[in-house]
Amino acid sequence: MGAYIVRRVLWAILLLLVVSFLTFVIFNVFPSADPAALRAGRNATPALVEQIRRNLGLDKPFYTQYWNYLKGLVEHFNLGYSYYNSESVKSEIFSRLPATASVAVGGFIVWMLIGIPVGIVSAIRPRSILDRVMMGGSLVAISAPVYFLGLVSLFLFAKGTGQLQWFGAAGSYVPITQNPGTWFDSLILPWLTLAAAFAAFYARMTRGNLIETMHEDYIRTARAKGLRESRVITKHGLRAALTPIVTMAGMDIGLLLGGAILTEIVFNVPGVGRYAYLAIVNSDLPAIQGTVLFGAFFIVFANLAVDILYAFLDPRVTYG
Amino acid sequence: MRRRNAVVAATAAGVLALVAAGCGGGGNSSSSGVQGASHSLVQSGGKKGGTITVLSNGDVDHLDPGAAYYQFTYAITYVTQRPLLAYKPNSIQPTPDLAASMPTVSKDGKTVTVHIRHGIKFSPPVNREVTSADVKYAIERGFDAAVGNGYAGAYFGVIKGAPTKIGNTVPSISGIQTPNKYTIIFKLAKPSGIFVSALQEPLTAPVPAEYARKFDQGKSSSYGDHQVATGPYMVQNNAAGKITGYTPGRQIVLVRNPNWNPKTSWRPAYADKILFKEGFDPTVATKQILNGEADVNGDFPPPAAQLKSITSNSSQKGQLEFTPTPGSRFVALNTQKPPFNNKYVRMAVAYVLDRNSMRLTRGGAIDGDIATHFISPDFGSHGFNQAGGFGFNPFPSKNNSGDVAKAQAMLKKAGFKSGKYSGPQVTQVADNSPPGSNTAAVVANSLAKIGMKVKTISVQHSAMYTRFCGVPKNAPNICPNVGWIADFHEPQADLDANFNGKNILPANNVNWSQLNDPKINALMEKAKVELNSEKRWSEWGQIDKLITESAAAIPWIWEKSPTLYSTKVTHASELWNGGEPDVSFMSVK
Repeated sequence: MGAYIVRRVLWAILLLLVVSFLTFVIFNVFPSADPAALRAGRNATPALVEQIRRNLGLDKPFYTQYWNYLKGLVEHFNLGYSYYNSESVKSEIFSRLPATASVAVGGFIVWMLIGIPVGIVSAIRPRSILDRVMMGGSLVAISAPVYFLGLVSLFLFAKGTGQLQWFGAAGSYVPITQNPGTWFDSLILPWLTLAAAFAAFYARMTRGNLIETMHEDYIRTARAKGLRESRVITKHGLRAALTPIVTMAGMDIGLLLGGAILTEIVFNVPGVGRYAYLAIVNSDLPAIQGTVLFGAFFIVFANLAVDILYAFLDPRVTYG
Repeated sequence: MRRRNAVVAATAAGVLALVAAGCGGGGNSSSSGVQGASHSLVQSGGKKGGTITVLSNGDVDHLDPGAAYYQFTYAITYVTQRPLLAYKPNSIQPTPDLAASMPTVSKDGKTVTVHIRHGIKFSPPVNREVTSADVKYAIERGFDAAVGNGYAGAYFGVIKGAPTKIGNTVPSISGIQTPNKYTIIFKLAKPSGIFVSALQEPLTAPVPAEYARKFDQGKSSSYGDHQVATGPYMVQNNAAGKITGYTPGRQIVLVRNPNWNPKTSWRPAYADKILFKEGFDPTVATKQILNGEADVNGDFPPPAAQLKSITSNSSQKGQLEFTPTPGSRFVALNTQKPPFNNKYVRMAVAYVLDRNSMRLTRGGAIDGDIATHFISPDFGSHGFNQAGGFGFNPFPSKNNSGDVAKAQAMLKKAGFKSGKYSGPQVTQVADNSPPGSNTAAVVANSLAKIGMKVKTISVQHSAMYTRFCGVPKNAPNICPNVGWIADFHEPQADLDANFNGKNILPANNVNWSQLNDPKINALMEKAKVELNSEKRWSEWGQIDKLITESAAAIPWIWEKSPTLYSTKVTHASELWNGGEPDVSFMSVK
């Protein structure tokens, strides 16, 4: 197992290198804006634009720029400075990480708490009215874009803008260390909005997997041995049915830790996703690069964690 | 040209599109000032105290007054800093701010003398009185690439000794002299008709050298994070001067500057605190302002559906004001290569363009008037009237929808006997998202009516400027999504950069048509040194006419910005700054 983990970590590092290189290539090869000209403004003299280009290191060949970036990253864990406002990208991302983690982890808990029970209930009563209602509802939730759902929830339930002023408004986020009550209140709507589509998808996945598992031979054997149905479901059915869900969950939480872009935009949560969005709008390569790398890091390591967890969930899996 | 928010530029689009239907017609009913039913600028008698909350979608570009160059940022810069001149909200006339009186200009126009007010002090931790040397240092640091001022060369490059090569050091400029603590003298290499107006730029706001110099070292100045204020407000800071009231992308907190003396200022500064809350979705923010949770929009227009609802709601429409922006949007035709090196082909395009449909792509009449020349209505007697005002339209058509017959007549003059264009396909580089992409589609459809096939290359808005239209060797035949906002209400600031052949640059070029007409160039050079403002504005008015008639670029909209106020505050929209709120004139009711 130890050798496996070391091997996977090395692959993860290589993957991150590839991701950072591709981001650099995309930014340089495709027609994106000239950061020096953007920084200087449209009334600037050519001399100023050129000096800013030198200051940003953009006068150097592409491979030198990339090498300098990597050097800074490896030697000092320096993600560079924003072309747009000269702020440190690392500081910006780290200062925004708690907000993104709050949205992602809270949303994750909500969708798991809703999605899996709904999936189980639907699976053990397939084609019942309850099943049809829940699966129909999940289809609606999957189909509703986060942006739309977010705005609707704000106009229905948020303080200041809603018809029923129950939950925290957009822009009301504060760090948990500052005021846990306000933190919780401000995140209820983002959590529910973010969780809606995920919960629906997980419910459908759980239902499908469980129905399939419940037709396996070993389930029939378990029933033949006289086990109670609840035990058959929880002990034998769910364990196998949930294994792929764990994989998905790991990937999704990793993805969201890189920034829940739309949710953060609609609810004005100052997280990494919102930062990534602004970086793209401003053609701010260091910020784009930083947020992409960060997102990739979480996805890669969430995958690794999931693979390790697999060995514990499924006795058939071993790592040599 | 000050920047407008890219996020907002994209958002505004869709925005106003829906409203068009509700606001009807394509008429030219217009006004050159701030429009709004309940416009109630409070210059005296407002209520002291309270907090004003401004909501924005994006962030400021730079807090540093030497680097700031963005409409929304100026709403903060001008209440925290005192340039030599500034503006009252509903005005385009510069007024002495740090200066004690309007500058005096010598007969030959080469010496400009400014006396500054006594008793103006920097905020903590500097705390000392402002002197003329602080203004000198502020302007000099504008030529340091570490500060990266975007207009120092354009407006202050005329000062004797101003550097042409830019490095990472603050140069000493011999033409800026400070004979005593309260006098600053600018020696110019040649007369400049706009130099006095340029003294309203925030670059002239004083910066204490002994405090700022250490932050100006290196490749990027960090003075913005440690800046001191001279205005009624300051960005909240700690005892060492480090800014604590700014969290990028989240909020900016302005508090009273304890060293501001109201007797030296015409700003009433009613509120105790100004809170700029950033990152808001425009739809949500508009709702919050209407509900009184916040007080005014900073960098975004209310979205379409809400704008329509507000304008049709008698109890809400008084909360909205429309302010004209000083500039225009236009379609630039590349005059340096076929087919648009032929004036008649360009005139055919000017006749056939469906400017009414183009305006609809940005929301129709509510977004502004159809532009028939370049100097916008808010310039008024500063060149707009002299260019013929609303009456000057060399390429008229019914409902501004294009005139195919006249376009064909022009093509015949250009040598296309059938009246249809039969040359090679032309290329345009356009925005890859609405409204710009929709505008470009209208341009292509209009040109198809005269047989001109257009190949559209779609890219990000900023890439369109910095990689294609602004780089002559990459420039396409048509740039349909360009526009310009003048830094101040002098026609030179509106026309010179865009249409003077001298300003065609290999990169960061803004003469997108690459117009290089010796007659127009000569008239511009003459007007630039004209010191008599009436004569100068008249000359620029004539230049505007010539540029428009050349059809090197076809203006199509003079825009207006909507500013939405809550019912809890008084209004103060900056006419000089595209409708940004002047929070130093607003008060909590």
